[in-house]
Amino acid sequence: MQIRRRALVATALAAGAAVALTACGSGGDGGSAAPATVAAVIKGLDNPFFQAMEKGITDESAVAGVRSTVQAATSITDTTGQADKLTGLAGQDFGCYVVNPISGTNLVQGLAQLAAAGKPVVNIDSPVDPAAAQAAGVQLATYIGTDNVAAGKLAAEQMSKALPGGGPVAVVGGIPGDVTSGARIEGFKAGLPGGVTVLQEVAANWERQEALTQATTIIGAHPDVKGFFAANDDMGLGIARAVANAGKTGQIAVISVDGNPDALTAVANGELAATVAQYPYVIGQMGVDACAAAASGATLPAKVDAPVQVVTKDNAQQAIESAPKPPAPYDNPFTAK
Amino acid sequence: MTSTATAKPPVTAAWRDPGRWADRAAAVGLVVLLIVFQLLDPGFLAIGNIRSMLLASAILVVLSIGQAFVVATGGIDLSVASTMTFAAALFGFGFARGWGLPLCCVVALVGGTAVGLVSGVLIGHGRITDFVVTLGALSAASGAALVIADGKPVTVVDAGLLRLSAGGIGPIGWSVVVAAVLAVVAHVVLFRTRVGTHVLAAGGNPEAAVATGISVARIKVLVYAASGLLAGIAAILLISRVGAAEPASNTSFLLNSVAAVVLGGVSLAGGRGGIAGPVLGALLLTVLANGLTMLGVSPFYQPLAVGVVVVAAAFLTRWRR
Repeated sequence: MQIRRRALVATALAAGAAVALTACGSGGDGGSAAPATVAAVIKGLDNPFFQAMEKGITDESAVAGVRSTVQAATSITDTTGQADKLTGLAGQDFGCYVVNPISGTNLVQGLAQLAAAGKPVVNIDSPVDPAAAQAAGVQLATYIGTDNVAAGKLAAEQMSKALPGGGPVAVVGGIPGDVTSGARIEGFKAGLPGGVTVLQEVAANWERQEALTQATTIIGAHPDVKGFFAANDDMGLGIARAVANAGKTGQIAVISVDGNPDALTAVANGELAATVAQYPYVIGQMGVDACAAAASGATLPAKVDAPVQVVTKDNAQQAIESAPKPPAPYDNPFTAK
Repeated sequence: MTSTATAKPPVTAAWRDPGRWADRAAAVGLVVLLIVFQLLDPGFLAIGNIRSMLLASAILVVLSIGQAFVVATGGIDLSVASTMTFAAALFGFGFARGWGLPLCCVVALVGGTAVGLVSGVLIGHGRITDFVVTLGALSAASGAALVIADGKPVTVVDAGLLRLSAGGIGPIGWSVVVAAVLAVVAHVVLFRTRVGTHVLAAGGNPEAAVATGISVARIKVLVYAASGLLAGIAAILLISRVGAAEPASNTSFLLNSVAAVVLGGVSLAGGRGGIAGPVLGALLLTVLANGLTMLGVSPFYQPLAVGVVVVAAAFLTRWRR
């Protein structure tokens, strides 16, 4: 039943794409430079982040008149399932491949197949391990992703603005040892000015409930804590709840990273001081744009930073309205004329 | 009281008897942790911190009660956490469509119970191993939660739920009161009713239980349905706590509920156990996490400490009679 429905959806999508293709063919909207087809393999669609990324890929493909297919892992830990999806797609004749690997190495088999066939590969979001890429013999066309250290630094800048008098702040990370969480925290610590000190670092497994518990403990143990930095919005919202429970909303600044819809609303309400928003929708779009640029023979930059923008109460409404795109303009080197 | 003189020797004997200690592993561990953390940080037993520890433990206590019933029959419910997630997703589904709080709660409770009922029927009447059925339910319920919620959290802002999470009797939050009442009811059911006796009998020796006319299948259906219902209650507590219904996996609750039951001296082979032990086990795990955070211990050491404490407490059960 499930499979039949999926087949139906795929057919409908293909039909839709075909219509878009003919429409754009006559309009000539940059269609000549675009590769005929793009295949993308991304992480689990159980996460709104990757749902936005998928939408970015399909929307941009429709605009560029490209037939695209997006396959996703079933969950964030499904490394082998994701690898199977890429090897499956690699056997079909797509013009360009966009990959967002779960780990640095799990897609290496499919990448080797693509390298042998001479297909351009665009890496988005999570980087392919350079050693693994070399072993597979694949030359990545480009890498597009969020610079998490820079996102942490932006959060630190915002924290220093929120706490002009300085003071102790606590840092709440994701799963202990997680690379993304580590990079954001590293950036945050490096970006803090003199007056603001890191009181303590805890891990809350990316979970809202866990962050609430940890933050409640910290507020109880250190009533002088002035701010919290959380490595993602879900944890930031949990901390905001703990701060509200303690009756200290507005006195303790909570800043997190991601820019998901709930967090944008919370920023507008003043529960979160700020969120450093990343734009998976734009990352998906840029992936398709990079494929088009590669097909037209352009030389691509090796690494492109996807936009990260600070959302505070001042621009929260704007950010909510422009979602899933950023409120402020950003550089897209693939479409620059 | 002439018996005081004669009663004394057994008391000292009880002190020396490792079996007594083993039966109370969770209580002993909890007291030791409380003393150690209080010595290391004088603010540990402040009323505010006790309040927040109790609030943080409520959900785990509720799930552990359900797990204790299941384990007492010799089963294991690997689906408690995902059943809670499933119930939370149902709640969010209703809330997003403006069904009103009472109906959302009912839907969550019915949904949780339904998952438990299906597992119980498959195990009891379908004669499939507990482990396999609930492993399947773990995956199915978390998948169903994602489907219902479309992978997105639903923000739940409601004055009634806010009171449930923020209010209480003095320093005791309402969610703690709910957990405590459920624990007392569960204790009474297990030790003062025929059903409770049948639960322990079915776990202790299923053949003998059947021979005495107890329907083991019906008991299995009952305990899994109870575990599902408790997961539904836990879902409501979770939503009131975080202010959102999320289809997140919450796997730490599964592992901690099993750990709490083991710490609480419930035999994994079934047939013996109680409710006080698992409740204390759940408190112990919460206190441990809270204390390590209070002391500023690096997050890298925290899972290590939890593992050591669980295994150490399980080690005590070696001497159990």
